[in-house]
Formats: sequence, structure tokens, C-alpha cells
Amino acid sequence: MPTYKLSYFEGQGLGEVSRQLLHLSETPFEDDRISQEDWPKRKDSMPFAKLPVLFVDGKPLPQSLAIARYLANQFGFAGKTPFESAWVDALGDQFKDYFSEMVPYFMALGGDNEEEKSRLQLEVAEPAINKFFSILEKRAKDNGSNGHFVGDSLTWIDIHISDHMGVGEKYFPNAYAAFPTVLALREGTVSLPKLKEWIEKRPVTPY
Amino acid sequence: STMPAYKLTYFNGRLRAEVARQLLYLAGVPFEDVRVRRPDWPALKSKMPFGEMPVLEVDGKPLPQSFAINRYLAKEFGFTGKSPFEAAWVDAIADQFKDYNIETRRLFLVLLGMIQGDKEQLLKDVGIPARDKFFGILEKIAKENGSNGHFVGQSLTWADLLIADHVKTVNILLPGFLDGFPTVLDTVKKIESTPKLKEWIEKSPYSKF
Repeated sequence: MPTYKLSYFEGQGLGEVSRQLLHLSETPFEDDRISQEDWPKRKDSMPFAKLPVLFVDGKPLPQSLAIARYLANQFGFAGKTPFESAWVDALGDQFKDYFSEMVPYFMALGGDNEEEKSRLQLEVAEPAINKFFSILEKRAKDNGSNGHFVGDSLTWIDIHISDHMGVGEKYFPNAYAAFPTVLALREGTVSLPKLKEWIEKRPVTPY
Repeated sequence: STMPAYKLTYFNGRLRAEVARQLLYLAGVPFEDVRVRRPDWPALKSKMPFGEMPVLEVDGKPLPQSFAINRYLAKEFGFTGKSPFEAAWVDAIADQFKDYNIETRRLFLVLLGMIQGDKEQLLKDVGIPARDKFFGILEKIAKENGSNGHFVGQSLTWADLLIADHVKTVNILLPGFLDGFPTVLDTVKKIESTPKLKEWIEKSPYSKF
């Protein structure tokens, strides 16, 4: 078994999916959580000067989706056929597009200008959420409302979306009320015993 | 087993579909290369799984998102590196390229005349910093990989194709812009001299992007 270290900030964000994949597969790993104060000192040791980075026997791998996919492939959470894996990837990339649209809103959430937060929630977050989660809702239904976005077993996109929704709801309650199949999928995912266990013991963080 | 039927649908440009076209051509696999004219796009949009192109159909089953398409074809035809870790590094370089694209989007839209903007200001504030960050990384990667004509491993991967196609666009729109990254430029030259790829590039319609 290789040694794994996952370096990320103290939060869920783009690193949590990989922590959960490692935990679900019962793979020991060093959960290297870097504070904002320490980040400047650690930055140059990361290949793309960003986090997360996965270290496999000390060799670094950057970029959150590359990491999640690599671990999912190692542990069996990437779909059962190449075409299924490709659909998991497509949803992951659509999430990345949605996430980049949401950035102005996320930045405002980090500040204390309440008016700006409200404005951006209306002008940025709501349209982006509607566009992406409508795709997810249709996808979950077309897949048979079976608790998964792709195929009939847990994949990293089920885990990644479910985790993101938990963060989103802290700032925008009922953000996903219009997407019942996705909400049910999330409930099913986070109540899986090993995930439930991880979620209960992980540090509580703002994002 | 019989070969599936492949159909790739995109605009008449390189941008997000060229790598997929190249992978199919390099593999010697016939495919329907559908190029949608701009006026015909609005009527097609709602038929696409995510309302966008490119879309790959495999025996009629659609797959959206250019990187998912690229990776799927690359895996089928052997262009994802020689190990899972190499394949993951190909993915990481591609995603870093996507981040750089997001940062430089406005600049390239202005250069293509698709939106109004101050080219010089965008170059100074956005283009040059993003270039230095991303191409600085690629220069280092190419050198550490042995300046062997590939960004990852010892054989052609879809990351090589992705970067080479973008460098072609930059050379058209901003000649000399990448002169500070000689190993990258040399790597791209080597990639483009791959025989079947050279053949594809020579017979493809010219496109600025």
C-alpha cells in the first residue's frame, strides 16, 4: 500500500471529496490541513502553487479533480464502464464550470458586506445554481432516481456534489429546494455509514 | 468486437473539439465530424445534454464536456500515459490549462473580435501574468520530463495535443508571446511532427482558433 498525504486548507471545499474517498476505502492517509497563516510558507513546495495536492509515496499530484479521479479509480468509485467513468467526469467538469461562475459570490461570503452578499446571491448564485442543479436533477431522474448520478453504485461525483451542497446550505438555506431528486441523492450519500462516521468526526469549518 | 460509431458535434473551429478529432484520426478510427454553423446552433442547443458543445456520440449515446470526451477517447486509443499516476498528471495539466483559459478568456475574446475591450490593458493585467504562471509551470514540467517532446511520460498524451493546439492559436493571435518558453515551443514542434498528426494538421481547414 502506498503512503498517502492529502494537503489542503482547513475546510471541505475542493479537498473533501478526496478525504472521503480515502476514508471510504479504509485507506490510512495523512490529512495535512494547512492554515491561512502557514500557506505562504508551504506554497512553493506545491507543483502549481495551489491546493489540494495528493502525495503518493512522496510524489505530488495537483488539481482537485485529477486527485479525486485518481483515488476513485484506485478504490472503485469511478463507475463500472469507461462510458460511465466519462459521464462522471463530464458532471465533474460541469461542476467546475458552475463553481467558477459562483466565485464572485463565494468571495463576497468571505467578507462582511451584507448588501453585496444579497446582490450576488440574486444575480450570480441563483442563476448558476438553477442552471447546474437543473442538469443534476434531470441526470438523477434519467439515471432512475436510484440514489446515484451515474450507474448503480457510488461514484466520486455523488460524494463531491453531496459535500458541496452541505457547504452551500450554510450560507444559502434551501438553495436546492427545487431539486428533490438531488436532495434525496444527497441524503442517501451522507447517510452511508462510513461517510456518516467521517462527517460526524471531521473538524467543523466555515466552508 | 466491432468498432463503435463515433460522431463529434461542434462549431467549425478547433478550440474545444480539435483534440478529440486528432485522437480519432491518430487512432485511425472513422468518425462523423459534424461542424455546426452559428445560425443553426440555437435550434440544437436544447438537444445537447448540458446545452453546449462539443458532444461525442458513441453508438448514438451522447457524452458532453470536452475533457471528458478527450479522456474517454484517449483511454480507448492509448493516449493517457503508461500508468494511473501518469494519467492523473495528464489530467492535472489539462485542468491547470483550463484555469489559465478561465483567467484569459476576456483577452482572447477581444483578440478574436468577439467582444469589445482594451487589448493592451488586458494583456498587461491578465494575459502576461496568466501566461507567466501557466507557461512557467509547463516550461519546468517539460524540462523535468527530459525535454523529450512530451509533457508527461515518454509517449504522446492528450495533454500534449491540448497544449500544442492552444500554442498554435497563441502563435496566430499573439506572435512572439511565448518566446520566453523555449522548451514548451520545442515540445510543441516535436508533438506537431508526429506523422499522423502532421497529416491531420496539413489537411484540416485553417482556423484562427
